Amino acid sequence: MYEGPIQDLIDELSRLPGIGPKSAQRLAFYLVKAPPDEAKRLAEAIVTAKERIFFCRECGNVAEGDLCRICRDESRDRTVLCVVEEPKDAATIERAAVIKGRYHVLGGAISPLDGVGPEDLRVQELLDRVERDGVTEVILATNPNLEGNATALYVAALLKPSGVRVTRLASGLPVGGDLEYADEVTLSQALEGRREM
Amino acid sequence: MQLRWIELRDFRNHGDTRVVVPDGLVVAVGPNGAGKTNLMEAMFFLCSLTSPRVSDNKPLVREGAAAGYVRGEVESLQGKVLIEVEIPGAGANRVQVNRSPVRRKRDVRRQARAVYFGPDDLDVVRGEPGQRRRFLDEALVALWPLKESLITAYDRTVRQRNRLLKDWEGKGAPAGLEAWDAELVENGCALTRARAEAATRLAPYAEEEFLHLVGYGLACKYLASVEGEPLEEAFRERLIARREDDLIRRTTLVGPHRDDLGLAVREMGARAFASHGEGWAAALCLRLGLAAAVAEELGEPPIVLLDDPFSALDPARQVQVAERLAGRGQVVVSVADESHVPKNADEIWEVAAGAVTIQGAS
Ligand SMILES: [Zn+2]
Repeated sequence: MYEGPIQDLIDELSRLPGIGPKSAQRLAFYLVKAPPDEAKRLAEAIVTAKERIFFCRECGNVAEGDLCRICRDESRDRTVLCVVEEPKDAATIERAAVIKGRYHVLGGAISPLDGVGPEDLRVQELLDRVERDGVTEVILATNPNLEGNATALYVAALLKPSGVRVTRLASGLPVGGDLEYADEVTLSQALEGRREM
Repeated sequence: MQLRWIELRDFRNHGDTRVVVPDGLVVAVGPNGAGKTNLMEAMFFLCSLTSPRVSDNKPLVREGAAAGYVRGEVESLQGKVLIEVEIPGAGANRVQVNRSPVRRKRDVRRQARAVYFGPDDLDVVRGEPGQRRRFLDEALVALWPLKESLITAYDRTVRQRNRLLKDWEGKGAPAGLEAWDAELVENGCALTRARAEAATRLAPYAEEEFLHLVGYGLACKYLASVEGEPLEEAFRERLIARREDDLIRRTTLVGPHRDDLGLAVREMGARAFASHGEGWAAALCLRLGLAAAVAEELGEPPIVLLDDPFSALDPARQVQVAERLAGRGQVVVSVADESHVPKNADEIWEVAAGAVTIQGAS
């Protein structure tokens, strides 16, 4: 529709999740009209984040180095793992300070409609950790919606032979919703009331 | 429950229509295309945020307008609520209840309840099973608005499982199938139970209406794809038994997406044997039965909207239906021809070119 750099910017922005062509256009014109240092700060923040943020080789959470803050912390119990879909879910639960153990980030939930199968998730890494670290309990904290439940069922079935205690964080959480909308009280109640799978 | 007044702006062919709706039997008369069906559609839309005729918003917005508006006041035993809906040609509706924005359809449906009959309902009787499943689900939502989540959850489960089966190229079963089986059983049983309950509630009323109108029996029975006690176990067994077929056909062959509602007239299948008039009467009686079931559930009758219910009925039956509509709360009926206006109408509206004129009682 437009020519040259402005169209390139619109194209790049519209690739971002949740940004449609209209929003991309609005953002692009906003940035072009903004003071030079404002656009520059954004560009630099993106580049820096991309260069300095990694994914923890243990748990898959965001990290500034090889291992994330939690996996580096020796006071965190290795034998209890809280399994979540995305780093933001780990951050939500961590804010509620209800988990003394560590996290395992799957990187999504099983959803054939979105082309996501078990092989796209960090499931094998989870099984390896359970075996290697003598894990005694795995708390499945995938989202309380259809895909999150299916993922929990799938993971629970794989963990069954290992004899580890598998629980599901679910009670009290709004069904069909997203973990990130749950407050701290709800989360700690959900943990208290977690059920065996 | 009563719709006190309704206002339509840029809704289908109504540029600006405001009408006070009395209690009792209201008859809207006007030639086809004048806008009486659109008016009834707007009334249903206000109560349910869905059109009984189309699934998309676009046809609801008057040509050339950016958005349509419907607002109105509903009075029930719980009090009065003002419902306002802005319907953009594309994108989500903006809805306010008592001037506060609401996000979910159920926030409106909990406050206002309507049952709609239209000529398309003939398909419920004569069409494919899918039409009857849709009727059952509409009944479910009309009776218990919060249970709509059961329908959407099951629908998404089936689509997920079917996609998994379709995309699978390897041997045996795809990884994760058992997880979707478990979801299918859980969500499928919940939907089966809810549909069974809805059918149980409305069937006796529908049968009674039909007997009164036609003079002989209608049998209305929910035919679940999966039956047995305990239901979960029966579902699981059926699923395992059909798994090979599922893998070959690459689709889900068991579950409430294959339910039906059995309708039989004089002990024969209504769909195959009923005359046009019989089929029409059965379709109308199903909706009237639903309205009676909702009335029982709510403790007050819902708003009943009947678009052109008389056209396929002979004059004697038209009178019978109209007489049965008296004393059932607020009932709005549309007719194309003056001669079809019932004698017992409490108010008559003349609808022409997207405008309503009140004529008084008959
Ligand atoms: Zn880590």
